[in-house]
Amino acid sequence: MGSDRDAAVARVPLMRTTFASILLVASAVLARAADVAGNAENGRLLLRQYGCGGCHRIPGVEAARGNVGPSLEGIARRVYLAGRLPNTPENMVRWIVEPKAIHPGTAMPDLSVSEAQARDMVAHLYRLR
Amino acid sequence: MRLRSLAAIVVAGGAAAVASIVGLGLYDISATDQHLAPTYWLLDTSMRRSVALRAKRIDVPPLDDATKIARGGRHFDAYCVACHGAPGIAPEPFALGLTPTPANLAHTAREWKPADLFWTIRHGIKMTGMPAWKYRLSDDEIWSIVAFLRVLPTLTPDRYRREIGGRPPAATVVARTQRATTGDAARGKRAIHQYACATCHAIPGIVGANAPVGPPLEGIATRAFIAGVVPNTPATMIAWLREPQAFRPDGAMPNLGMSEADAADIAAYLATLR
Repeated sequence: MGSDRDAAVARVPLMRTTFASILLVASAVLARAADVAGNAENGRLLLRQYGCGGCHRIPGVEAARGNVGPSLEGIARRVYLAGRLPNTPENMVRWIVEPKAIHPGTAMPDLSVSEAQARDMVAHLYRLR
Repeated sequence: MRLRSLAAIVVAGGAAAVASIVGLGLYDISATDQHLAPTYWLLDTSMRRSVALRAKRIDVPPLDDATKIARGGRHFDAYCVACHGAPGIAPEPFALGLTPTPANLAHTAREWKPADLFWTIRHGIKMTGMPAWKYRLSDDEIWSIVAFLRVLPTLTPDRYRREIGGRPPAATVVARTQRATTGDAARGKRAIHQYACATCHAIPGIVGANAPVGPPLEGIATRAFIAGVVPNTPATMIAWLREPQAFRPDGAMPNLGMSEADAADIAAYLATLR
């Protein structure tokens, strides 16, 4: 639902038509950790299982002290993901599931994380304020 | 008795400190140097509290109106971008020289309440570059800017350029620092203030650098990749700092017109952040 909506939004010229779709995204941005659907505890385990800590420092995840990519400390407050994507729970799910679709040149690998798993990971990551 | 003489010494010491700052001009007021950490904290906290106190009774009108947001976008592009920049667009060179550096508003919009934003735009902030718009814009127009600011963090740099900022990105003026290109970390630490780095990144050792727009630079010296695309070496760091949009044309990090000398100095400072 999220990616369809975002894709639709991307085609709507902002100045010419309505802002209704933008507002949906806006409200998503303002979403707080509590609004993120997903099991944070399971997400924490998944972040370890998928080896995310090999590249990222992730508070709450054992041995996650990698410094290949940026630290995820305070990631819930970060404004952009992957250097360009507005940080919303939906966009974070998309980025984890299909990083190369968002940024073809990225060093972040496609780890075949399912959308449901990504949702749980995001629930944990959105606790890191 | 002992307590009393101690108090007298403290008072006398305080008076001497104030006299030397006010009378002798010892405090460095130049915009090339950031405030000392305690001064920064004092000014920043007082400013936030002052705004919050004065904005408390403001009634916020509905801000989700499409026309209002569109109008606010046009005002934002006309009045705010020169100093604050926009996603992927750097502030104008003169604005990079301001202290305090104008904030990245995609971050501010996520953290500040609408009433606080409204009050700040309307009244401005003394001893910063922030002007009062009260006599230049109607309250309706100011609210439209607030309405747009709430949407700003949802726009990718690409969308901002296509749909709000109709003009091409400002021609970058390469800073006029002519020096040998051997990086010097101490010079880099000062130069960081002149390129608004702290408005987007948390940077250890830099006063006031705690914004989470881009990733934190703690440990950047040993990070394997820059921007997720290039291996981190002294040379690639300098190239990235000078022209990030050559690596990431769609990225939020703007070209800041950084000279090679300043890039080498800043890279040398970043190399100390292990």
